[in-house]
Amino acid sequence: MKVQGQILLAAARGQVWDLLTDPAKLAKCLPGCEKLEAAGPDRYKVSVKFALAAISGSYSGAVELSEKKQPESLRIMLEGKGTPGFMKGEGRIRLTEKQGQTELRYEGEAQVGGMIAAVGQRMIDVAARRIIQQFFDAAAAQLRSSVPGA
Amino acid sequence: MIPAPFEYHAPKSLEEALRLLDRHGDEAKLLAGGHSLLPMMKLRLAAPRFVIDLGRLKGLDYIREEQGMIAIGAMTTHAEIENSSLLRAKCPLLSETAAAIGDVQVRNRGTLGGSLAHADPAADYPASILALEAQMTMNSSMGVRAVDAAEFFLDMLTTQLRPGEILTEIRVPALGKGTGAAYCKLSQPASGYAVVGVAARVTLAAGKLAQIAVGVTGVGPKAYRAVNVEDALRGKKASEKLLAEAARHAARGVEALADLHASAGYRSEMAAVFTRRALERAVARAAGTKA
Amino acid sequence: MATATKYIGKPLKRKEDPRLIHGLAHYVDDLVLAGMLHAGFVRSPHAHALIKFVDTSKAQSAPGVVAVLTAEDVRGQIGAVPCAAVLPDMKAAPRPVLATGRVRFVGEAVAVVIASDRYALRDALDLVDVDYESLTPVVDPEKAISKGAPVLHEPSPDNVAYRWELEGGDIKKAFKQADKVIRQRILNQRLVPVAMEPRGVLAEYKPGEKTLTVWSSTQIPHLLKTQLAAMLGAPEHSVRVITPEVGGGFGSKLNVYPEEAVIAHLAMRLGRPVKWVETRRENFLCTIHGRDQIGDVEAAVTKDGVLLGVKWRIVADLGAYYQLLTPLIPTLTGLMLAGCYKVPAIRIEIIGALTNKMSTDAYRGAGRPEATYYIERLMDLIAAELKKDPAEIRRKNFPQPKDFPYATPTGVTYDSANYQKSLDLALQKSGYAKLRKEQAKLRKQGRYLGIGLSTYVEICAMGPSSAMPAGGWESATVRVEPTGKVTILTGASPHGQGQETSFAQMGAEILGLTPDDVHVVHGDTAAVPYGIGTFGSRGTAVGGTAAYKSLIKLRDKLAQIAGHLMGEDPQKLVFGDGRIWSKSAGNKSIGLIEAIGAAYVAKTLPPGMEPGLDATTFFEPSNFTFPFGAHVCVVEIDAETGDVRLLKYVAVDDCGNVLNPLLVEGQVHGGIVQAVGQAMFEEAVYDEHGQLITGELMDYALPRAGALPWMETHRTVTPSPVNPLGVKGVGEAGTIGATPAIINAVVDALAPFGVRHVDMPAKRERIWKLMHEAPPRRAPRAPAKAAARRQAGRRAK
Repeated sequence: MKVQGQILLAAARGQVWDLLTDPAKLAKCLPGCEKLEAAGPDRYKVSVKFALAAISGSYSGAVELSEKKQPESLRIMLEGKGTPGFMKGEGRIRLTEKQGQTELRYEGEAQVGGMIAAVGQRMIDVAARRIIQQFFDAAAAQLRSSVPGA
Repeated sequence: MIPAPFEYHAPKSLEEALRLLDRHGDEAKLLAGGHSLLPMMKLRLAAPRFVIDLGRLKGLDYIREEQGMIAIGAMTTHAEIENSSLLRAKCPLLSETAAAIGDVQVRNRGTLGGSLAHADPAADYPASILALEAQMTMNSSMGVRAVDAAEFFLDMLTTQLRPGEILTEIRVPALGKGTGAAYCKLSQPASGYAVVGVAARVTLAAGKLAQIAVGVTGVGPKAYRAVNVEDALRGKKASEKLLAEAARHAARGVEALADLHASAGYRSEMAAVFTRRALERAVARAAGTKA
Repeated sequence: MATATKYIGKPLKRKEDPRLIHGLAHYVDDLVLAGMLHAGFVRSPHAHALIKFVDTSKAQSAPGVVAVLTAEDVRGQIGAVPCAAVLPDMKAAPRPVLATGRVRFVGEAVAVVIASDRYALRDALDLVDVDYESLTPVVDPEKAISKGAPVLHEPSPDNVAYRWELEGGDIKKAFKQADKVIRQRILNQRLVPVAMEPRGVLAEYKPGEKTLTVWSSTQIPHLLKTQLAAMLGAPEHSVRVITPEVGGGFGSKLNVYPEEAVIAHLAMRLGRPVKWVETRRENFLCTIHGRDQIGDVEAAVTKDGVLLGVKWRIVADLGAYYQLLTPLIPTLTGLMLAGCYKVPAIRIEIIGALTNKMSTDAYRGAGRPEATYYIERLMDLIAAELKKDPAEIRRKNFPQPKDFPYATPTGVTYDSANYQKSLDLALQKSGYAKLRKEQAKLRKQGRYLGIGLSTYVEICAMGPSSAMPAGGWESATVRVEPTGKVTILTGASPHGQGQETSFAQMGAEILGLTPDDVHVVHGDTAAVPYGIGTFGSRGTAVGGTAAYKSLIKLRDKLAQIAGHLMGEDPQKLVFGDGRIWSKSAGNKSIGLIEAIGAAYVAKTLPPGMEPGLDATTFFEPSNFTFPFGAHVCVVEIDAETGDVRLLKYVAVDDCGNVLNPLLVEGQVHGGIVQAVGQAMFEEAVYDEHGQLITGELMDYALPRAGALPWMETHRTVTPSPVNPLGVKGVGEAGTIGATPAIINAVVDALAPFGVRHVDMPAKRERIWKLMHEAPPRRAPRAPAKAAARRQAGRRAK
């Protein structure tokens, strides 16, 4: 499943970069993140619980940042496994300055395996979009609270 | 097909159900007819720690007329709605919709409240509930509140219901003379869910479309009122051409779903086709030209 | 069998039905043994991955868990999954019963958990932690066999399992002489058999007696017994396989599965009975699939529509491993690619491709529906190209009744047929000429009626042995009990076909009893003689013939005894109403029971005769049988939605002589419905990562009663010369004949839009797109003639 989109964040590019690369801040953006701890350079162990109404799945796995070109672009990989199967997402994020704000563009691939893939195909796209939306909403909220000067 | 362990409660009264819901918070799920929740639990996609079964609860399955409205208890089954002589006489749209759900076994177990609270994007009722401008009553230990159907559905599988609330009653209008309504549906061949389901309600006055409401399900992440269609029709004289043109707007601005059975583009096109069909049938019924 | 009969040929209701309808039948899941444990499998969510590590510790210590085993724990103790098909240059690594180091499809078993109850088991399954390193999966069979694709099995570095080639006649000459060459790609999508009862296995080992009993929902109890003995290293005489009630198979239980061996092994290892019952989800993922071929055809024809030669190239998606007959099935397609036509020259190339999916294998029709679909689509393509009636094109290419036995260029010899007669009857019964007029009229109104034909021949009654991987015969023992009741023990293994009824009809007819006096026993290797099983429409033609011959042997013996007792010529005795009658001397008779009594008490037997009344026959036919028929389907398409509605269905089938027309009709109806499934609804879809996204009945659409028209069935009767009953078999005919009839009707309905082919399933959106994106966009109410002209113009480009 392809995912792509863009969002305008009311913060300087450096701040957005900082948010995406600081594990503590990243953890707050990740929907349902229960744990995120360092496991090597730019690699973190994570536990997340994705939920949509009654449907939920707990996954444990890793987040990895790579191809970092501060402050313009980086690649984020998230993979995890849990009782409903596994999920894997990988994509590139590009940041551009737009009149003091930052435009974030993302483009990537998401894959789920196991039970969710077999029974959830009609809802998966929307669910993925909502989770990404939640991520950026949380990011925007964090940036708002940290602007100005914090 | 065995769910994860859970604790089962079967409250006898609404008060008891609300107390249990307050106590267990979002670790609890309400069980009505069980046709959506139980399969998810058996596949372990849902694993609530507490299941509160509303099936033993008295007084939530009724269909009665109250001040020109028809009040329906949330635990009323699809079969009861399908076969209710009161609804068939005064609000046949709901009976027609219930008859289009699943199969006999599903209709004997599934409930109106359960279906609406679950808010499956392809469920049948939401289209008709929207077209009927129903009132949704929700109880919590804090009291009772009601919202219009148009405000009830928020997103895929997400409604107005807050933690601690139970949908208890749905009120629909008794349709008077000059009003006609119809539900037309394209079924998903495997599940029977609506790929597209459209409910239209029209009132004719002096040959013109005085009141009009169109509810659409299956097309987007949530059921919606096709306001663009309604606007294109309101106050005008119904003609085959007008209905067809207005129906073209059925999916305008909607984030259409895509799955194995229908792409987003096809869904949008079918929304127009089935909107036109529902409108034609509703107008004919309002005019008394067809049953 | 030409004389008047009392039971044979009569529509008796099925003896099996009351117990099924009343819920009194016993399936594997209904069986409970003392101390029984429950097993479940941990399955891969990955289509292709290395298994880095399996942590079973948490599951091991969970409440109620008895054991958790991985491939490591059973290494050297359970042999690989057997494949009975042998083709030249077949290359693929055998399938281990538990994945070893690597998984190759979603659903492959990695570990097995055994617990004291199903609840503890289910919870423990979630506790087995498998660490995978994912590999790139190969999902598309054509990509799989192209350069640079990831490799599934080292012995096959190009993912080609085998190439099967066949050439008959002078194909070069045929194409040189052709007025026209017609080309088309025709797909046969992957299907899930979806037997109503999923698979299930229960095994019990008695260490004192050293006997292993395995109850399995299978179509082949004896072959399973032999294979299990080999896989487990157990002496075969101590292994017993029992098939309790089997809730459908459609070929999916004509196999030996890893679970059968693992459960049997566990029963021996743990010393307690162990049961496993497949979930519907597992049934979708890890029970064999059917079809899945890509066919490319090139046909050389004369301007009159006479076939000169055909080239076929077929890529068959075999999935990740060989199951019992996996590689063989596409070759059955190859053998039948001439259809019921004179094909002077043929060239066939079949490539078996390995992909990261569940194996394909025999599914109702097993290779023949694919062949029939290809050739029947081709006949309609020829008719459309030459603007001729599809019935006329077919007639032109049929061999004549005098041509039988008829040898095809693919190397098979059709036993007997009259294709003209069945087609004529189908056209007459469907009112074909009137339908064509109706179609023209409706087209003018913007309504799209489609009329589809299919004339098929198929290959049935799987035998002789020379053409079968594991023997092409069948056995039956008939025993007349001292009280006059008859037991027929058949080596065939019916699982819905109704042979408990039809064999009883034979017994009653031959011995002059009633069907209630005859009981049919099957599916217990300790009770019935070794047999091959029920598949390939062989139950009656091969198994029934064995029973018939044993019945005749006993009748002859009883006649000898009666003749001796009565002082009559045994040749002149007849059996009826429970008595044996003399034809020569008025109403002289003795009770059958007296002759039976004489056989058992053995005091008044003719000199030298053995006591007892048991007869066994192992029957091997000299050839396959080739049932045939003609089907007509009428559809109407809703131009606004693309929805296809079946309006009318007329089937004329010739399965030779008929023992019970009710059973035949039931088989034809069921077969047609399964064809409706493939033609209109069913499709096993794997996404690009190898996930089966039609993994349950919410998305995998089976045909429902509401989608079906009234099915009109007729028969012609051309007895088969290869068995004394003259029967051919009818278990798969409906599925084989109906799929192309339906699609031909759909394509015919879309002719005004310039459509020449539609891939299955004929889903609404697919049809809708063809109608709405057909260039140039046509006005919906254009008259048919104008449409036909436009269509012709478009083709000329």
